Amino acid sequence: MGRSQERGQGQGPIYNMRLSTVGAARPTETGATHEPTGLDLAIKLHYLKAAYIYMPEMARDLTVKHVKDAMFTLFDHIAWTTGRLWRRDSGRPYIKCNDCGARFVEGECNFTVEEWLSKPDRSADEFLVYHRPVGPELPFSPLIYVQMTRFKCGGLAFGLSWANIMGDSFSLHYAYSLWAKALLGEKIFAPETSTIERKNLNPNPTFKDPESIKRVDPVGDLWITPNNKKMSNYCFNLAIADKISPHFPANGDDQIPVFEILAGIIWKCIARVREEPEPVTVTIIRKDPNDQKPIRSIRNGQMISSVHVDFPVAEASVDELVRSIEKATDERSGIDEIGESCGGSLDFVVYGAKLTFVDLCEVDLYEAKVMGKSPESVYCNVEGIGDEGLVVVYAAAKSEERVVMMTLPEEEMERVKSEFKKFGLIAS
Amino acid sequence: MCQAVPMPDFSSSVKLKYVKLGYQYLVNNFLSLLLIPIMAIIVVELLRIGPEEILNVWNSLHFDLIQVLCSSFFVIFISTVYFMSKPRTVYLVDYSCYKPPVTCRVPFATFMEHSRLILKDSPKSVEFQMRILERSGLGEETCLPPAIHYIPPTPTMEEARSEAQMVIFTALDDLFKKTGLLPKDIDILIVNCSLFSPTPSLSAMVINKYKLRSNIKSFNLSGMGCSAGLISVDLARDLLQVHPNSNAVIVSTEIITPNYYKGNERAMLLPNCLFRMGSAAILMSNRRSDRWRAKYKLCHLVRTHRGADDKSYYCVYEQEDKEGKIGINLCKDLMAIAGEALKANITTIGPLVLPASEQLLFLLSLIGRKIFNLKWKPYIPDFKLAFEHFCIHAGGRAVIDELQKNLQLSGEHVEASRMTLHRFGNTSSSSLWYELCYIETKGRMRRGDRVWQIAFGSGFKCNSAVWKCNRTIKTPKDGPWSDCIDRYPVFIPEVVKL
Repeated sequence: MGRSQERGQGQGPIYNMRLSTVGAARPTETGATHEPTGLDLAIKLHYLKAAYIYMPEMARDLTVKHVKDAMFTLFDHIAWTTGRLWRRDSGRPYIKCNDCGARFVEGECNFTVEEWLSKPDRSADEFLVYHRPVGPELPFSPLIYVQMTRFKCGGLAFGLSWANIMGDSFSLHYAYSLWAKALLGEKIFAPETSTIERKNLNPNPTFKDPESIKRVDPVGDLWITPNNKKMSNYCFNLAIADKISPHFPANGDDQIPVFEILAGIIWKCIARVREEPEPVTVTIIRKDPNDQKPIRSIRNGQMISSVHVDFPVAEASVDELVRSIEKATDERSGIDEIGESCGGSLDFVVYGAKLTFVDLCEVDLYEAKVMGKSPESVYCNVEGIGDEGLVVVYAAAKSEERVVMMTLPEEEMERVKSEFKKFGLIAS
Repeated sequence: MCQAVPMPDFSSSVKLKYVKLGYQYLVNNFLSLLLIPIMAIIVVELLRIGPEEILNVWNSLHFDLIQVLCSSFFVIFISTVYFMSKPRTVYLVDYSCYKPPVTCRVPFATFMEHSRLILKDSPKSVEFQMRILERSGLGEETCLPPAIHYIPPTPTMEEARSEAQMVIFTALDDLFKKTGLLPKDIDILIVNCSLFSPTPSLSAMVINKYKLRSNIKSFNLSGMGCSAGLISVDLARDLLQVHPNSNAVIVSTEIITPNYYKGNERAMLLPNCLFRMGSAAILMSNRRSDRWRAKYKLCHLVRTHRGADDKSYYCVYEQEDKEGKIGINLCKDLMAIAGEALKANITTIGPLVLPASEQLLFLLSLIGRKIFNLKWKPYIPDFKLAFEHFCIHAGGRAVIDELQKNLQLSGEHVEASRMTLHRFGNTSSSSLWYELCYIETKGRMRRGDRVWQIAFGSGFKCNSAVWKCNRTIKTPKDGPWSDCIDRYPVFIPEVVKL
């Protein structure tokens, strides 16, 4: 892996970092493998991140041993995620289920939880998630990193970095909630889904070339998205009632489509900043509406759809944009075919190939209680996105609020922020 | 080393098999067989004389009061001296082996990945470790202590003590539960751990934890290698001869945490690949009341030390490498030296355990070779006639292979050793107890079965213990093997491809 892993190395405000490994309690049968689908391979350059912060009242007594024991129980059910990537003779990657394990990182922070959460830009939570890309040696790169940070006051933060080839954000949060249940000593259950079940569930597949995927230069065995622009993060909270409802004329419906409105507003703001070329096509990633059952397994079941408008976005009304977003076309089968046909030998990006909006509002991020307390704050992001940028929308601790996490080219960020101020999304 | 049996090649014929059996029966029961014709002659003679003659002979013997008193006193005196000078029988009441938690498990892939990260500057050493692991005979469930799971490992003294507490106290708690022993009733405590010897000692740590009596006889053996388990048993036996009506608790373990070699010298990386976490606690007693519930009776214990020979002494040597990092250097002719030590041990234990038939053959072969200078190969006695079960220290695959070849044992005889190496790795002095537990959990231990435990250790030492099973042992429900015994025996390939 080529990186220094010495004890005591820190990242930013986190110091005294110690690395170890957690895995499955029971040995997996020799020769077991997990085959990624075409869709899995198409999004292999992306990594999902999440950070959960807990106040000290309950978290103080939680030791590393408790956490690791529960991790072993969790991985017992999803042992294949502790395997490593190998390539077949054809070059197609697959996961060898050799129980190698997930990397576990312990760290300390000199701030209290309150001090940490008082920073308005929540992208500081990036320091709570230890991340390394897959490669340069595939068989020795963990797919999951777990960071446990102890704050000065005794509070805790858990950061997960999760290779998208294994599963989507919904799977990540599901796995985390299973771990939280295991910590309480409850029995957990996560069935393994076969390769066939994991494939696209769309009953009406479209066969035109998908817009939401873009080929990138070959990256070989080091799975990092090649970016031409330097990207930066910005994360903020907003209250639905104050900031979103005014922009959408209430037409008698009781349910306002919060995500669509937010996406529309942000799209418009970015279009005003980004003139050449105007972003007339965006990608929407959200939970599959056809998948009514609650998430029960680790897979890439998210819906990847594309929206294309023929009118200039900067002058359009939010209403028009919302209606267009609602008519997004599911592109998963096209992406799956592309991924399958090249067999992992070509490299693509999906998040950030076009300006991408990810809707995690339906995930109950605060259900994962540790020692009876919900997390004080949750942070979600995606690493390794393309140059067009990413916006992730998810629920905040207060149910009337949402969190918006944006990754955009650095050169655009300030201007986009000033557009937001004009729109009233963020305070001046 | 000992060669194959010198018998000519028609030993496969059935006729010879019966000849062999007949010979063994004849020689082993020689005295009883001799007794039969003598008894027959006496009975025939008595019948010939007739009952009146016998009565006359009886009456003619004048029994003086003094003579009667003196003879009975003499008989009583002789029997008292006999019973007093007979060595006390020492029993093994019960024992318990430590089962490490699953969170300490080290699969091959994890070990290799950590190795690559820690030894990133020495790819050849990483390659070497991989080849060792592939051929080691270890499985995917062996365990290392928590401190060694870090990249790089964090072997502080506190972590070492914490490992010691975890393995020793868990094993002792289990032993107390099984035997109903109260800690304050322990008379003798012996702890052996070769490479970790803090102050206060590990035996003091046990005394502190369980609040043992102030007049306890405690001993802490360190530095004595993998055969220290049997040395502790020997010490306990000797002490139990001197102290009547007592019991002894032995704790055998090896603490891995402080001994993980941090350098990249190849010969010294070998122990990192093989040594794993484990411990055993044993209760021994000479009390008559324990006779009924004891599992085994100690018959013999033979210790052989080859330290006088320089090659043997330097064979397993703890030293600093070129960079000043301490590790254990294993020399290349370890197997040959082990063979020599075994031969010396067998020479002593053979006469104690072998049936007369084998001893006679050995003697004849010896006479033929030495006195008449015949070109015979030395005869290896068939130890399978002396023992039902064998526990060979699971020091490594090579050791078990070598002993299997030299003693001509079948796969089933060495199964306990191989499977212990696979499931638990080399747990040093406690491995013999895991092997014994395997045999019991498989339900193979019957009353009267004899067990031979052989341990090798640095020095170079070869120690043997012979136990006789006192009562048929029911399959234990909660031992270290209970949850996985159904999967065993497993086939262990020559090379496991990682």
